[in-house]
Amino acid sequence: MAERKNFSRYNMRCGILLRAPEGQCRITDLSIPELDSRYLALTGNDIPGNNTFSFLSGNMPIIAKETLSYPGQIVLALFAPDYESASLMMRNIKLETEHLEDAVPVDVPDSLEYSWGERQEEESRYKEVTSHFTLEHIGRPTRRIYSVTAWLDGANMHIEAPTEWVELVRETVEKATGYPKRNITVHTMPYTARHDEYLIEPAILAAIAATAAIRSGLPSEIRTEGMYSRPEIKVDRTTETDEDGKPVYETAVMTVDQGAFLFASEEYQRQAMTGLIPPYPLKAFRASVRIASSSNYPAAFCGSLGYSEALAATEYHISRLADKSGVTPALYRLSIEKEKRKFTDYIPGYDLEETKKCIKKAADEASYDRKWAANSFQKDEFGLLGYLRGVGISSGVGISGFSTTLSKELGFSLMMTFTQKHNVTVNTSALNHPGTIKIWKDRIAERIIPGRPEGVMFLDHGPDTIDTGPDVLSRLVASLTPQLESAAKRLSVLKDTEKLPVSIRLDAENTYYPCEFENSGCGAIVAEIIIEKESMIPVARNVWAAFAFPTIMDETSLRNSIKRTIMMTLSENGMRLPADFSIHLDISETGTEDTVASVQQLARGLTLGAAMNALAQALGEKAVLPINAERINRIFTTEDADL
Amino acid sequence: MKIDCTIDGKTLTLSLNSDKPLSLILRENMGDEGYVNHCSGRMCGLCAVLVDGKAVLSCMVPAFEIRGKTVTTFESFRRSKEMKDIEKAYEAVGAYPCTDCYASRSLIFHSLIDEGVTDKNQILKELSIVRCHCMDAASEIKIVQKGIEIRRKRNVRRTQLA
Repeated sequence: MAERKNFSRYNMRCGILLRAPEGQCRITDLSIPELDSRYLALTGNDIPGNNTFSFLSGNMPIIAKETLSYPGQIVLALFAPDYESASLMMRNIKLETEHLEDAVPVDVPDSLEYSWGERQEEESRYKEVTSHFTLEHIGRPTRRIYSVTAWLDGANMHIEAPTEWVELVRETVEKATGYPKRNITVHTMPYTARHDEYLIEPAILAAIAATAAIRSGLPSEIRTEGMYSRPEIKVDRTTETDEDGKPVYETAVMTVDQGAFLFASEEYQRQAMTGLIPPYPLKAFRASVRIASSSNYPAAFCGSLGYSEALAATEYHISRLADKSGVTPALYRLSIEKEKRKFTDYIPGYDLEETKKCIKKAADEASYDRKWAANSFQKDEFGLLGYLRGVGISSGVGISGFSTTLSKELGFSLMMTFTQKHNVTVNTSALNHPGTIKIWKDRIAERIIPGRPEGVMFLDHGPDTIDTGPDVLSRLVASLTPQLESAAKRLSVLKDTEKLPVSIRLDAENTYYPCEFENSGCGAIVAEIIIEKESMIPVARNVWAAFAFPTIMDETSLRNSIKRTIMMTLSENGMRLPADFSIHLDISETGTEDTVASVQQLARGLTLGAAMNALAQALGEKAVLPINAERINRIFTTEDADL
Repeated sequence: MKIDCTIDGKTLTLSLNSDKPLSLILRENMGDEGYVNHCSGRMCGLCAVLVDGKAVLSCMVPAFEIRGKTVTTFESFRRSKEMKDIEKAYEAVGAYPCTDCYASRSLIFHSLIDEGVTDKNQILKELSIVRCHCMDAASEIKIVQKGIEIRRKRNVRRTQLA
């Protein structure tokens, strides 16, 4: 492992950034005063290589050159011997902009459409139920300052940064500076990226700091505050139901505003589409996912690539269907969902029995039906403001991170070898994670060298180069598991018949996946929310959750992870968590051999759905997330058109 | 101005602006960027350190206030016996803070355990300065109670051995 930084702070350059004051504008003047040798200013023209950051089919400039697409875009980086000098000198740099009438154009992918069945024109006896689900844009600083440092050590470039994707940092620095990737070492710093905020910007800052290190010949550091942005999502859904309230035809249109630059848009569409497909049977279904751009900060994934939000929208709609048919949403879910879900191109036709068990558990524990009925009756009794209490439920399955299409695009290879010392070595370029490696070791050992998991070795490239990737991108982990198991089976036969060492090679193309995603774990959440009558602040009182997973590696971690996701999702969406707030969590193991993936994605989607349903009961269908006192006040005092 | 203080067991004489916040001193002068955040006083609650054994938000402490005092950051605290007690309490309760607030929350837990605070409202009030919603109030109270119990047992054992 390479040495970490051991230079004095007195012999380095400290960088600060000049950011765009507004989006959708043109730079008319950027005047930089005469700088002596202690200072270094970098603009878009000073990047020696390609001034472009690329990530999953999306591109954006590292430093903006002529046009500014969003507020906060990097316009200039100024390096000085210390931060105070840099701040003082920055005051002398003048930036003038001119607003543009039209937004800076970006390539927007075509909308993704999916459908089955045809609507019969003559069947006009059905009732129509519509719902509008809105998650408004959130863009705010993380209140967490982090630094990215670059320094040269002979022919090697060292980068120290909190980053979710080491490989992305190396690729961006290589393209920006022309430094070969093999000479770039990334030292990761501790971080928590609950909104995936350390995915894009650290790579961009690393490229700027590396350029400064090359230009000045001194270690260069940039310090900045993290920023995250959640895309704005709107889902309009219409269902035609029969006399019994059972859905027959359905259409769903989802619009996602990803901000000024679009990253992983096509993957976002696929994941969102998976969440939009309802679990109940329909004669005909039609859905589309449209991506839009605006002058907002480019959206981070916030632990989800669209599935959570789409799942929440679907769950919100199911509760609206239940409202119209006069049945409690928990009972309605149990009655309309069949035993097995329909097989689609996006998700397999899995058994719904476990999901129904989770619904029953969570609803019984929360006395959901009683509370829902009580709130509904009371709502009519209270005049203008209503009862201001709501209880909401949502249920669903988790999916494994990446889609099959993207897994195949990225590709990976793997070689498993049975050595002469009767050990198994695994060398893979796939993203891997310490927790998952432990499970893989056990499973491989079980098939080839029973009772000796320590004999299975994953060739480690060192902590600086192992590429875990963000949690949300864990599809490769999920898809690799069955491949590893089939390879282990084949190797257990080959080791007895072939001369040692014997190896097996795999790549992503080896396995046929019938669907874009695999289901993994399921759950149900009930959330109880009250609106404080005096302040109109929404307060989350209790959450009851029931989850079932195929295998549970570490129950304590899983519990903590689910609880954290629930609490963070509620607080991110404006709910206050009082001191007596509690989460009643029930986790069960189904005993199948699938790998658990993206637990956070499932918990986040279900929490959003349950919170939205609870708010719909407390405030009516005008509620949006994030919610706040001002918005609630407007709901009660403003006409629909002005909201 | 020149300030004499002890940071993580090292006796230092620092030459710096008297109003420089402790969080920046730790980040810039001591290079502790992993555990101490600096949010410019916007109350993120992620910059707690121990000043003479009591947890404080380092962004709210100007340099002149640490003159002659002992500052302990999580970097050195995590290797102490006191931290082992807190880890045991986390394990016993089955709840852990997230990596973002682990350092800050652990130091505040230590401060509460050290003072033997059992009043639930006071525990929640002290911990409310950490603006991270990774832990529910019930778990926080249980951790402090368990921590006090573990530390008391350790102290009793030590007295018996002596």
